[in-house]
Amino acid sequence: MLKINDLHASVADNEIIKGLSLDIKAGEVHAIMGPNGAGKSTLSYALTGREGYDVASGSATLDGAELLDMEVEDRATAGLFLAFQYPVEIPGVSNMEFLKVSVDSQRKARNLESYSSSEFLKVAKAACKQVNLPLSFLKRGVNEGFSGGEKKRNEIMQMILLQPKLSILDESDSGLDIDALKIVADGINSQRDGQRSFLVITHYQRLLDYIKPDFVHVLADGKIVKSGGPELALELEAEGYAWLESYDRNAEQEANA
Amino acid sequence: MSSWLANTISEAEQVNDWLSPKRAESLALLKNTPWPNRKTEAWRYTPINVIERARFSAANDTTVQAAAIENLDSIDLVFVDGIFDAQASTDNFPEGLCITQLSEGKNCDWALDSFKKTKPNKHFFGLINDTLATSGCIIDVAAAAKIEKPIRIVQSFSAGSQSHTRILVRVGPSAKLCVVEQLQGDELCFNTSFAEYDIGEAATLEHYRLAMQCQAAISIGGSHFSLAQSAQLTSNLIGFGSQLSRVDMDIIHAGEKAISKLNVIYLLDGRELFDLHSSFEHTVAHGTSDQNIRCIVADHANAVFNGRIHIHRDAQKILASMNNRNLLMSDDAQVNTKPELEIYADDVRCAHGVTIAEIDEEAMFYLQSRGISRSDAQVMLSFGFINELVDQMPNIAIADWLRPQLRNRFANMEIR
Repeated sequence: MLKINDLHASVADNEIIKGLSLDIKAGEVHAIMGPNGAGKSTLSYALTGREGYDVASGSATLDGAELLDMEVEDRATAGLFLAFQYPVEIPGVSNMEFLKVSVDSQRKARNLESYSSSEFLKVAKAACKQVNLPLSFLKRGVNEGFSGGEKKRNEIMQMILLQPKLSILDESDSGLDIDALKIVADGINSQRDGQRSFLVITHYQRLLDYIKPDFVHVLADGKIVKSGGPELALELEAEGYAWLESYDRNAEQEANA
Repeated sequence: MSSWLANTISEAEQVNDWLSPKRAESLALLKNTPWPNRKTEAWRYTPINVIERARFSAANDTTVQAAAIENLDSIDLVFVDGIFDAQASTDNFPEGLCITQLSEGKNCDWALDSFKKTKPNKHFFGLINDTLATSGCIIDVAAAAKIEKPIRIVQSFSAGSQSHTRILVRVGPSAKLCVVEQLQGDELCFNTSFAEYDIGEAATLEHYRLAMQCQAAISIGGSHFSLAQSAQLTSNLIGFGSQLSRVDMDIIHAGEKAISKLNVIYLLDGRELFDLHSSFEHTVAHGTSDQNIRCIVADHANAVFNGRIHIHRDAQKILASMNNRNLLMSDDAQVNTKPELEIYADDVRCAHGVTIAEIDEEAMFYLQSRGISRSDAQVMLSFGFINELVDQMPNIAIADWLRPQLRNRFANMEIR
């Protein structure tokens, strides 16, 4: 579904992603773990097309279509979704209006008719309940005055409403207490249908207790340095990221040998 | 002296009523005041020669009607071309509320005393209003009375009319009141409408001035407030702009621990002009004031904002803030904004900021990342920029009534 091949991306002329390749098949859940500064957020912004995140070379295709050539909104309508680590507050734009326009834009791209207001209200209310947000949040400004956890749940609600093919979850677990973490994880799990895929970016193994990944990758210095099954996350949790340095040394020694 | 002013003065000399002693003071001042022009600081960006060119009369067309505000259960006082329309107005008032017509002249000493007490003499058209305003109303709220229904003072204006109205309001100690000043009419007319509010100790006033005269109208006026100790004011001004629209707002903190908040939305199109001069006068210590002015200016329109904060020498521990954000939608649109901070106390916090806003790129990316096109996102964010202040309005019926009108006006601005 998502094929990233030898991606190089930079921020303000500093190369952050240095030749990253990744292949996520339909229905799979991949986790990317790594220390601060490894390039986790840069990867998600480069894929979604944020200004200031420049891709020098490489490709990223979603069901065969090259994402990197598309406008931001076209990547979204092609089926890419990013749950932001720090969702922005937009006072004055109601969450409800924002959600409806988002969903309608995507339905239009899929040649589906827009929801009527009453139809959409039903759908939105259901999604709101699913992530355990009070319905009054639909009327408030987008993320306006939401707590960190409420913002994360609002991201998951959008994912539920937009039904993307591939969802990138950028540290959706950070700053959450255990109850909120379960709600977020349940929201994500409810969307696993064997077709849709997920890229879960996280610091900690904790989230992966609730969302069972098929593959775990370790991102360090802009590259995937190790891939494995769920057990790799446990290993990282036990040993921390410090072993990456010894891993690097071993790799160097092997290269030099 | 301009012939217009000379005529006005001779007209004013004919006025004879219970307010005459007060009017005479203003007339004397007026005789010594030159006709404002571009060199007059208070009128630097707002040419007024159009007043001299047009011909107006007091005659009125009573078929002009102002829009009702849906779902707002209000006490209505209706004026057409400055003349009170008793039939369209509410005639019974809740306990603690007394409303009389200015023309009746039977109200008490306080009304005479408060006439031109809060409104500073520096306002040229305020002086004209002092001498000529024979219609309007006097609103008196008894101590501790909580008047739940908003009082809506509706003024509509027909083509060619000239009118001058005055509103005097006293909110007694610990009382609560909401007043909506609604001005409407698109035709070429000339009106001055000034209101003075005396907000008593620990009293609360929620205020709206819906300056929605547009197109050819010439509308000049002001709302002036004096806050006693621990009084609270929330004021919302909507400016649609017209050939000439000018509003002066003076908020005077006369007692300690008063709190005032002013939110202003300008939405200007075509060749419309809207000019707001606000002035926060902190004469005593321990006060909080906050003003937010948001302008969207399209086409050849012109927004003028002069924001003054004056903190007197002994007025320590003041928190004052002023924020003016502007969104220009065309290369020919103009914003003339000037903060005027006069701070003579040394232990105060006074924040001010003026921006000619660009669209927030972070918010733009967020919307686009959900599949919303850049142009749709731009409309949402621009409208959100003013809607944020509509969301803050305490009266939901007024906010709900305004929102589609603002949206509609904004949508029309987009098309050009």
